[in-house]
Amino acid sequence: MRSKLFGLLAIIMIAALVLGACAKPTPPAAETPTPAVEEPAPAVEEPATEEPVAEEPAVEDPWAGVVPAKEIVWWHQHTGEAREAAIAKIISDFNANNEFGITVTAEYAGGYGDIFNKMLPILNTPDVPDVVVGYQNQVATYQLADAMFDMNELIDHPTYGLTKEEQEDFFPGFFAQDVLSVFDNQRLGLAPNRSMEVMYYNMDWLKELGYDAPPTTPEEFKEMACKAAETPFSGATEGAASPIGYELSIDTSRFASWTFAFGGDMFDYENNQFTLNSDAAVNAWTFIQSLFADGCARLVTENYGDQTDFGNGTLLFTVGSSSGLPYYAKAVEADGTPFEWSVAAIPHTTADPVQNIYGASVSIPKSTPERELAAWLFVKYYTSAEVNAEWAKASGYFPVKQSVAAQFTDVFEANPAYKTAFDLLKFGVFEPAVPGYDFVRDNVIEPAMTSIVDDVTADVRALLDEANVNANEILAEQMAQIK
Amino acid sequence: MDASNVSINTKSSGAFKRQAFKDQITGILFTLPALLIILIFGIFPIGYSIYMSLFNWQVTKGAFIGDKNYLLIFGSWWNLLVLVAGIALFVLGFYVWNKAFQSIKNGHRLAHIIGALVLILGGVIFVTGWGMMYETGNKDFLNSLIVTVYYALGTVPAEIILGLVLAYILYQDIIGKEAFRIIYFLPYITPSISTAVVFQIIFSSRETSLANRLIGLFGADPLKWRFEPKPVLNLLGLDVSGLAGGPSLALLTIILYGIWSFVGYNTVIFLSGLGNIPKEIYEAAEIDGGSKWDRFWHITVPMISPVTFYLTLIGFIGTFKAFNHIYVMRTTSAQNTVVTTSLLVFDRFYKANQYGVATAQAIVLFAIILGLTLAQNKIMGERVFYG
Repeated sequence: MRSKLFGLLAIIMIAALVLGACAKPTPPAAETPTPAVEEPAPAVEEPATEEPVAEEPAVEDPWAGVVPAKEIVWWHQHTGEAREAAIAKIISDFNANNEFGITVTAEYAGGYGDIFNKMLPILNTPDVPDVVVGYQNQVATYQLADAMFDMNELIDHPTYGLTKEEQEDFFPGFFAQDVLSVFDNQRLGLAPNRSMEVMYYNMDWLKELGYDAPPTTPEEFKEMACKAAETPFSGATEGAASPIGYELSIDTSRFASWTFAFGGDMFDYENNQFTLNSDAAVNAWTFIQSLFADGCARLVTENYGDQTDFGNGTLLFTVGSSSGLPYYAKAVEADGTPFEWSVAAIPHTTADPVQNIYGASVSIPKSTPERELAAWLFVKYYTSAEVNAEWAKASGYFPVKQSVAAQFTDVFEANPAYKTAFDLLKFGVFEPAVPGYDFVRDNVIEPAMTSIVDDVTADVRALLDEANVNANEILAEQMAQIK
Repeated sequence: MDASNVSINTKSSGAFKRQAFKDQITGILFTLPALLIILIFGIFPIGYSIYMSLFNWQVTKGAFIGDKNYLLIFGSWWNLLVLVAGIALFVLGFYVWNKAFQSIKNGHRLAHIIGALVLILGGVIFVTGWGMMYETGNKDFLNSLIVTVYYALGTVPAEIILGLVLAYILYQDIIGKEAFRIIYFLPYITPSISTAVVFQIIFSSRETSLANRLIGLFGADPLKWRFEPKPVLNLLGLDVSGLAGGPSLALLTIILYGIWSFVGYNTVIFLSGLGNIPKEIYEAAEIDGGSKWDRFWHITVPMISPVTFYLTLIGFIGTFKAFNHIYVMRTTSAQNTVVTTSLLVFDRFYKANQYGVATAQAIVLFAIILGLTLAQNKIMGERVFYG
């Protein structure tokens, strides 16, 4: 038995040696030997007539020869008759008229949160949609897995890109919002629509209080708000809440709005760090705290409670999204005693207003060059001035192109508050587009806001210092995920 | 025994074995679908969660990091060990108190003295372990455990007591008891999201909210309810802080919702339990002169103890897993006083996208629920009277 085993082993070894000898010789290891003596370079004939010119090496166009995919899918969150009809028309026009024969299929994929949760497990797989709606911080989260297409690759492309004029036609803040500093300024989206934080005010009540215009500075705001808290509006609904100057909802967008209005920012885009404890933020929130301390402000008590109180004539000022304009109009008219109201810039300490803008963009997940190119061509079409005007009118959002104002005269006439807000768009700035921002909003900034106004003796700087440390820790945790 | 007998016996034994084998196979085949479903949708997710918790799993799967996600919770394994040692001493103390030294003279007294000492020691070690964990572990997670315990202790006993009382009343011959049964059961079958929204409105901090109008009838000032992070005892004028402060008013409103929502279910289950108590026992007690209270306390309560045990068990499991209504009713103003562990895990998962950390937290919660269930089973199970 033993001898048989040895025999077998011997045969295997011999076979291995034979096979090894028959195999191709292995190339030498990767190390490239440096020649001891340089070979003399071959003589190059110089041109007889012209001076030698150091030509830049021709940059190869990576998109040359790429044929856009014929079928692409767009995941969006839009619902409602007007928006659905507008999307159907945009898609149908694009499909019928684009010169590349691209067919876009628009799919409602749920709300923003649903889309985000659907996207995460399919990042970097062929199952991703070609175009997807998403907030900047959501897209930033996708990019932690290096899963999004950097539109910088195409935005300046001579054939497929946007002209300088087209780029400059975007409101500056809207155009800059999708360039993410935490990802080396990659452009991960393009804005098709936006909303903005504005101050809503009751003009009739202001007149009763002896003012003929809304406040433009925090001091004026406080004076009017405190007066309103003591002087009920004659048109207030009976049995409604007691009068108050301002109602604050605990929402990070309010934090941003007031901080911007005091000349600050929430983020240092050079060092990619939160700056929640900047002097401007401390001043802004000390100011808000003083409104609460003096009985001129209170917290919003339920969802959209500020709209209700505003409509009831018991709230003089509130700050909220411009997308709430139709709802405020309804709230004011609900009781049958409508009053004059409008929107204005958030009272500011800066020379010009600084307005918080937000909204989801359209982004392109990484797939194949063909799909990415087709997706980009659709995004370009969707954000073009003409289509953008059509979309903004149907959706109620603000357009993103400055040139569309000429097509909005009818809208402006019908809705002066919309016109006022539109004129403020050029002052737009935005909240940080970083991964984990939702977590920072809910778990860091909003608790800090609560602490500031709940205890009017609380140390605002200390609270914001702590919030800033926590926010930057979360950011660091998130950024550590980058592949 | 002749050869033919042996042959018959062997034959019948073989047939019996074959039949037994066939029965086994049939049984397994019948249980297989359920087993597969439980394996796929029950056991596999737990196993996969444990697997995820061992990785730096964020937006995508990262490196294997072993126990690091768990260490984020506990600070160190030593902290956990101290805490568990405290719990073990509790168990030992409980055992000594009840069962030790029974055979010697004055054994009861000795057992109580030693048991008490061990219990105190266990308490000290448990608190020490908790403090160490709080120092170096995840404070948010540990706070959420306290909130969860407040929620469970505030909800389950009240649900049980109210459920039993209502069931006892409905068990009597009162007019319209069927209608009452339906009314009490309605909150349980109504979607919790919608009823939680109604509670949101009732307990709004608006001065004209229903809750504020109600307490206004008694001359009380409006309260912030769901928005109030201060402990209830503070609001009552007592200067207590920390754990002794009890749940916040915001959590109390959620507890009220929990009681309202589940008491009807408990009532119906208790009613079915009451129906199983033989009437003769009550009649005998009545003949012997037992009052209504005597009959309730000495007959109903013991005879219904299996139902009470079951409801307490699922009540505690349910409160530790509770999510929907707490998610709807929580407010930012209430801060972390309403963030139970299940909400914390959800936030970590969906907002921070830290799947590894979130699954580790979920596994710890799972272990706690499992431990509590076993403890309840042991402690209460021994006291259940099965007739």
